[in-house]
Amino acid sequence: MTEIALNNRLRGSGLRARHLVLGIRIVAAATIAGFALTTQGFLSTLSINALLTAISFVGCVAVGMTFITLTGNIMSLALGATVSATALTFLATLSFGIVPALLVALLFGVVITGLQGFLVGYFQANPILVSIAALSLLLGAAAFATGGHRIYPAGEGLAIFKGRIAGIPVQALCFFATVIAAQFILSWTRIGRQMAMVGSNSRAATAAGIETTWTITIAYMAAGACAAISGVLLAARYGSGDMELGAGYDYTAIAAVLVGGTAIAGGSGSAVRTLVGVTVIAIIEVVLLLRGFSEQLQYLITGIIVLAVIMLHVVGERR
Amino acid sequence: MIQQVGRFLIAPAARPFTIMAGAVVVLGLIDRGNGYFFSLGTLFSVMQLFASLGLVALGLGLSMMVREFDLSVAGMFSLAGCIAVITGGTNPWLGALLGVAAGVVSGLIQGLIMTRLKLSSVGVTLGGLLTLQGLAYVLSGNQTVSYPNMSVALGLNAPFAQLFSVRSAVALAVFLLAALLMRYTYVGRDVIATGSDRRASRVAGLNTDRILIGVFAASGASSALAGVLLSYSLGAASPVGLSDVLAPAAAAAIVGGVSVVGGRGSPAGIAAGVLTLCILRSGLSAIGVPPYVHDLVTGGILLFIAVLDAPELARHITAWRLDRAERRAQTFTAKLS
Repeated sequence: MTEIALNNRLRGSGLRARHLVLGIRIVAAATIAGFALTTQGFLSTLSINALLTAISFVGCVAVGMTFITLTGNIMSLALGATVSATALTFLATLSFGIVPALLVALLFGVVITGLQGFLVGYFQANPILVSIAALSLLLGAAAFATGGHRIYPAGEGLAIFKGRIAGIPVQALCFFATVIAAQFILSWTRIGRQMAMVGSNSRAATAAGIETTWTITIAYMAAGACAAISGVLLAARYGSGDMELGAGYDYTAIAAVLVGGTAIAGGSGSAVRTLVGVTVIAIIEVVLLLRGFSEQLQYLITGIIVLAVIMLHVVGERR
Repeated sequence: MIQQVGRFLIAPAARPFTIMAGAVVVLGLIDRGNGYFFSLGTLFSVMQLFASLGLVALGLGLSMMVREFDLSVAGMFSLAGCIAVITGGTNPWLGALLGVAAGVVSGLIQGLIMTRLKLSSVGVTLGGLLTLQGLAYVLSGNQTVSYPNMSVALGLNAPFAQLFSVRSAVALAVFLLAALLMRYTYVGRDVIATGSDRRASRVAGLNTDRILIGVFAASGASSALAGVLLSYSLGAASPVGLSDVLAPAAAAAIVGGVSVVGGRGSPAGIAAGVLTLCILRSGLSAIGVPPYVHDLVTGGILLFIAVLDAPELARHITAWRLDRAERRAQTFTAKLS
């Protein structure tokens, strides 16, 4: 009897906490929207276009990171280097034509990241250590392959990614397509549902007959594919590349994933939430920029927001 | 006898030193008596590298001993450097003190958030890393801040006893202090107990929350000191460029026998791990191997040990062995019939 009462009370407090979190979310969203709309020049086509391109590059990486976080493996510190490395691969193989280069770049990202996923899934190796190791290996291998020089495109065809379709930059269209594809996988395919199950309780998922190794490897492969798309877009945008191209993207990406509301412990999350997270961070940055705040303040504010969101998330999750 | 020696060499407590000796032997063999590797110059540069990397690895390693992971060491490293260079213009002690104090405060705050809200360290220290990095950007105005007091830089790097500088001596002293604390006081036992089994330690009456907060404060202070020393000796601080310290620090701690599953490791081991990486780096460059080899070697070692430490490895090896034995038995019976 007392147990039931206790349960009810706990449930009640959980519900209240969830309302509190929802309230804070709404207030935060309203504040950001208010600031954005009252900022002069925010609604101009120029700033909207800048916003769209800015979110495309890091957004693809963030969508990729969502897969890793969702399966309970927190984050990969190697995705930024993977972006740079795929950009270099893409540029170097452009001589074979744009389609083969695209395929090679995608395959490269998928294989490199998928191997890490296999180690994490099969041996349950620590995902952060594996990613740090991969980061070192990628940097070393890239320095070996390029001799430390910039890589310039070996062929034509980059212009496709710089154009517009119906006024929207092709880069942004690629990003939105990535979000839609990722969300489709996560919501409507069996492997996507399995990823969430493995993330929320890997032992229970194994008991339910899910191949955790395979699921985690697929999640990492998807992350690699997303990083590769980002690498291709960046290569097209800058017309040349080195290993600095995607440096730091891992941190921005995980920030976007967490701000979007994907749980850091895994098990709950979606690509659309990450899209929201990326957009919110980008809007804050653009608004700060338009209002004359320096770039360094943007870094600080992003950091504080991530910290606050992580703390807020627990309040909402507590039962 | 040989087996016993072998077993002693790969025992967890001795493994870091075995790996270090292995690195020295391999590099010595590659050098083949040319004298590039076994020179005082190389040893001095090993110790200089040790001073930069060692204290960050110590901080990260301490957090790994209690089964946490302090990502914020990289941010603290660059922030403390900026603080010291900006505030220590006339009085370097004040700058150093403020830098290290910032490390302690950041560790305390993050530790409190983790223990009070029962949050995972990776999430909190990720937020901490981004915030500290942001603070470093704001303080330095997003550019390299130069340190006017060049005599401090020269003094810190001036060699004595041909091997050490003040900087590397300070790093060694901190390691010694940490080793003594871990070996001869309750602190060491409590840290290892917290890392091995937190719930059991709590049941046994240990205040694990306090241990955790203390470890993160120590980790913050240690990595801050590393940042202060490096920025002083470079005569400049920059919010960027220092952040690629995380990978080598993690590699050093892991090579030094700290396990990601917690409850294992010692400051002496971490020191050996750091020395191994430093010997590899300056040894390889002394021999004339291009710098990327160092990245590849670090990554390879890290990957190898990450798999070696993985909880499922033993089970899979047993399964492989059983499989092979079964197949052999099957072919044997097939041959018989």
